[in-house]
Amino acid sequence: MLLSNDWLTIALAKGRILEPALELFAAAGFDTSRIREESRKLIFTLEEEKLRFVLAKPTDIPTYVEYGAADLGVVGKDVLLEVEKELYELLDLQIGPCRLSVACRAGSKGFAGGYVATKYPRITERYFQGQGKQFEVIKLHGSVELAPLLQLADVIVDLVSTGKTLAENNLVETEVIAHITTRLVANPGSYQVKGKRVMELAERLRAVLERKEG
Amino acid sequence: MNEILKRLLTPEGVRDLLPDLAGRKRKLEELIQDIFSRWGYREVSTPAFEYSVNFDTEMKADLEENLYRFPDERGRTLVLRPDFTLPLARVAATHLAREAKPLRLCYGGSIFRYAGGLQGKQRELTQAGVELMGAGTAESDAEIIALAAEVLQAAGLLDFTLCLGHVGFLDNLLAAYGVTPEAGEKIKHFFSKKDFVSLRELVQSLPLASEAAEAVLAVPGLRGGAEVLEEARKLLPPGADMTPLLTLQDIWAVLADYGVSRFVTLDLGMVRMLNYYTGMVFEGYTVGLGYPLCGGGRYDQLLVNFGINLPAVGFAVSVDHLLTVLERRKLLPEKKPSLYLAYSAGSRAAALAAAQALRKSGEKVVVSVQESTGEEAARQGRALGALRLLYYHGGKCTETALDSEGGGKDATLK
Repeated sequence: MLLSNDWLTIALAKGRILEPALELFAAAGFDTSRIREESRKLIFTLEEEKLRFVLAKPTDIPTYVEYGAADLGVVGKDVLLEVEKELYELLDLQIGPCRLSVACRAGSKGFAGGYVATKYPRITERYFQGQGKQFEVIKLHGSVELAPLLQLADVIVDLVSTGKTLAENNLVETEVIAHITTRLVANPGSYQVKGKRVMELAERLRAVLERKEG
Repeated sequence: MNEILKRLLTPEGVRDLLPDLAGRKRKLEELIQDIFSRWGYREVSTPAFEYSVNFDTEMKADLEENLYRFPDERGRTLVLRPDFTLPLARVAATHLAREAKPLRLCYGGSIFRYAGGLQGKQRELTQAGVELMGAGTAESDAEIIALAAEVLQAAGLLDFTLCLGHVGFLDNLLAAYGVTPEAGEKIKHFFSKKDFVSLRELVQSLPLASEAAEAVLAVPGLRGGAEVLEEARKLLPPGADMTPLLTLQDIWAVLADYGVSRFVTLDLGMVRMLNYYTGMVFEGYTVGLGYPLCGGGRYDQLLVNFGINLPAVGFAVSVDHLLTVLERRKLLPEKKPSLYLAYSAGSRAAALAAAQALRKSGEKVVVSVQESTGEEAARQGRALGALRLLYYHGGKCTETALDSEGGGKDATLK
């Protein structure tokens, strides 16, 4: 079931952050070419590095890491905020920077209470609870921008990067809840028992990030 | 929901333990208590609920959010036991105040907290732990850590790590660089969650000298063997209090004498959020489990609050988490196969006498609750999962192996 303790398993979120994440690992000297070529496979091993990559749905990454099926995970802060698991957050990989924001129809007066459509019900709940407003959260799984247009919701809470999608749907960003980037997270048990390997890997990635910054 | 269905549910965060698992849990608890006893720790048992005031000082933050509180018949507030250390402090300060020191006490049982934080989703948790009261030496710190290592090994784990830190190190480092107490609390919060991304953001937002910021951000990397202490020393500005590092060095030396240093990793960024710790703190982890298996530390100021001024140190094993790991890795002992004993009309006396004799000799014997034919007996025995059938009939006993379907060997005993 478990690989021996000198192996590391890293769960990578499929979707928009996968390609930049693979580039980052490649820049840190890990051969990720096969993952790019064989797009249907879900598990890839790098024998010489004793490393295993698994690809999973972003919202499932924290679960894989929580149960130790993966030692480490690469996933967006938005997902981490939503699921609230006890994972260690080791590194900001600075991939896919965007904002988790409140948006409403252009010209409306901001949010005084009412219906909120979002893919992030828990974050939304926490955020508005702190403001003493009456509200109800409507959970959607995609195209959240539709909700205000069809009068399903007064405002939405969603990821905004350039703001183009919002503008095309006649919506404006009113409040920023959090700044989001991709993070490297660890299972607490793996972090302790495989401490050396985890730190080495985090350092290799950090070195690449610092080269980029510098 | 209909009335019967409602009765079949358990509240959130508590669970039934079914046959086999419940037995294995009890065996595991016995194994742990047996080790505690061989190290000279004497078991005490405290009530499941106590006056809320016993927990007011040390668990203030928890009291509002996480503890089960309810009034008694006179309106006094009671708390379901959320922790064993405070009740044991009360016992040490009252019934055992005159006993020779150091006092070695152990306990086992349930604690209750609303879910969250370090415990996973369960609200009733089983702990087994020890407190060593009246000793402040590195030897007493190391005794507790070595005992934790022995418990985890005896349970069958080999790939665990006990990470060892000292609450004073980070406190001294922050104070020496002039970090305000409020900022220090936030920094320690991120250390306790090991959220190094937020830590970096926070530190960069504080008005700190660059060497102070660098020192704080270097602490997460201070993990490993004794060499870490030397690196840690270099991070402290001249004149800073080195006592925590010297203490850890002493503890490390005793752990080597115990022969358990291979299980221990120094982790100077370790923070346990219970605020009564004053010295070394440690937690045990294994691969595949997101929560500590055990944890503890030194609490030299706690007993003063109960009217006795004694240094003390202790730890607790999270029995449920340990059980989960052992279960997943199939490290729990298999249940011993049982014997099924049945009888025909007129042979009951012989059968029951035999059953009693076998039980005395240590066999696990299940006896039929009615007369049966040989075929019925075999069927019943198989349904129970018994490996052998002893069938008493007409003054004889026939033994049949039940492990393979149908073709058991028959042997007629006397």
